[in-house]
Amino acid sequence: MPNIVCCFKWVVDEAYIKPSSAGKIDLEWAEHKLSDYDRNAIEAGVQLQEEYGGTVTAVTVASSEATKGIKDALSRGPEKAFFINDEQFENLEPVQTSAILAQVISQQIDYDLIICGEGSSDMYSQQVGPRLAEKLGIPCIALVKKLEIKDNRLIAERKTDEGIEVVSAPLPALVTVLPDINNPRVPGLKDTLAASKKPVVDVSLEDLAAEYPALMVLEDMRAASLVRNCTRFGSGPEDIQAFVEAVNKTGIIDRG
Amino acid sequence: MDFKLTEEQELIRDNMREFARTYVDPIAVEIDENSRYPEEVIKKLADGGWMGMPFPAEFGGAGVDYLTYAIAVEELSRSCAATGFTMSVHTGLACGPIALFGNEEQKKKYLTPMAKGEHLGAFALTEPGAGTDVGAATSTAVLDGDEYVLNGVKTFTSNGPVANTYVTFAWTDKNDKRNGMSAFIVPREAPGLSVGEHFMKMGIRASQTSEIIFKDCRIPKENLLGKVGDGMKIAMNSFDHGRIGIAAQAVGIAQAALDESISYSKQRVQFGKPISRNQAIQWMIADMYTDITAGRFLYYYAASLKDQGLPFSKEAAMAKVFCAEMCSKHASKAVQIHGGYGYCKGQKVERLMRDAKITEIYEGTSEAQRMVIAGNVLR
Repeated sequence: MPNIVCCFKWVVDEAYIKPSSAGKIDLEWAEHKLSDYDRNAIEAGVQLQEEYGGTVTAVTVASSEATKGIKDALSRGPEKAFFINDEQFENLEPVQTSAILAQVISQQIDYDLIICGEGSSDMYSQQVGPRLAEKLGIPCIALVKKLEIKDNRLIAERKTDEGIEVVSAPLPALVTVLPDINNPRVPGLKDTLAASKKPVVDVSLEDLAAEYPALMVLEDMRAASLVRNCTRFGSGPEDIQAFVEAVNKTGIIDRG
Repeated sequence: MDFKLTEEQELIRDNMREFARTYVDPIAVEIDENSRYPEEVIKKLADGGWMGMPFPAEFGGAGVDYLTYAIAVEELSRSCAATGFTMSVHTGLACGPIALFGNEEQKKKYLTPMAKGEHLGAFALTEPGAGTDVGAATSTAVLDGDEYVLNGVKTFTSNGPVANTYVTFAWTDKNDKRNGMSAFIVPREAPGLSVGEHFMKMGIRASQTSEIIFKDCRIPKENLLGKVGDGMKIAMNSFDHGRIGIAAQAVGIAQAALDESISYSKQRVQFGKPISRNQAIQWMIADMYTDITAGRFLYYYAASLKDQGLPFSKEAAMAKVFCAEMCSKHASKAVQIHGGYGYCKGQKVERLMRDAKITEIYEGTSEAQRMVIAGNVLR
């Protein structure tokens, strides 16, 4: 009966990302959500538990304000959560997040399988899963679309550019999952109400008793802008010339 | 006063949004076109615990406050007003009066399967000659031994053809216009109950509406709801509750009209620029957003008064009339923004405009709401 850990990130909902008038990104009113592929990670954990038994624990490294994210994750099935939080834990780099996760998971959680999303829906670096496996010294199978456990081994189908690869690894192991792996269930009303009553282990930066300095500092972030224009062209030879000139003028095509 | 929902309320709202996107959006066009009852979605709502939200857990409900329930109605209606209404009429008008006026036995026998979503409820009050004028009803109930015998025809009964349990009203004393009407719980299988004509409607077409005919319909006398003569009181009280649900439904429709208008106006290019850059469109969008926000806070306010056990009849009427009328107005504006495309089948705004109109009519017309409000204010 495997003990499963599902890692998740509470991210800014991209639907709320708006450029401010000064060209910056205005996140003041942005809502947060559970990162898309982490929903698949949690669902994969819960489905394995339904099949093989064991436990599912949800873990996140987040800002202290992410309490709603904990309830959200717990409403999707895990019976317990670790909330590793600090006011500074906003915009962490993958190297920091994976180091913090590795410390807490190795010291406090008895695990057989760790499931992460393929990447987060905000930064999508795809690094936290593989880095975490490296730090814990366990096998990592990335980009998984199907998962089963047989004789204490993990059998996973990976979707790669070359095709489907079936691999296996001994437990404990870590996988990162693709959205193809499942359709996450929609939590019912009672799941949400029950989530508030599930145990949450609060881990603070002081509890960690370690420093996790950033290697890279974010200096500035600006919004990309898209200006839509509509110009009509006919289909005669002179129109094609006009079209070419218009395209050249906009600089859409780099003529090197 | 911080105008903020709790984390739990926000999550429940978000989950209903996710539910509606996953299960309702894909079928909304089809069930509207075919006027089909979305049985599979209602079953999923039941499985998720959404069909008895504000009722105590001991009677199969989820025990959340009425505000949270109304928010869920809004979110469901944003995807499909008919599905939102099916849930709302079941919860507010059918389960509601049994929860409030029923005895323990009735709550166990009828409310529990309804709140679990195993049974669907309907509210049969309106008659061919008695709409806003409830007192003009002609249905009668006569006690015969251990049974009441009901006779009469109810019309425009929402959920009528698909319900398992009906809350209905009939005169036990025709001469007493004030206290002569009584309320009853009638199970579908009661002998003498039949479903009459099905109505084909302009909007909320997936919501099933029919006549319900009582012909020497016999029910045990234990199915009297409240006391003899409580009918009018129970009907009016039920409407007070129901109206919060309709206000929420109207806000959901209006929000959908705004969602569609924002995305369309940003994409639709005329005169070399998206039409959202025209002030005429911007003002329509600004007015929509303002009215939707105002309407939402009106129904939040009515629901929160109810949750605090304070009088809310006037506020529910205010929320209902304001939300219904702004919903109709802005659904029509949304079609205007979409131009010819909006007038065609296949654009969501076409359905929204048809769905919007009913919110001004059922569970008390806009005129009836103003009677309630004026009656309170001029008292």
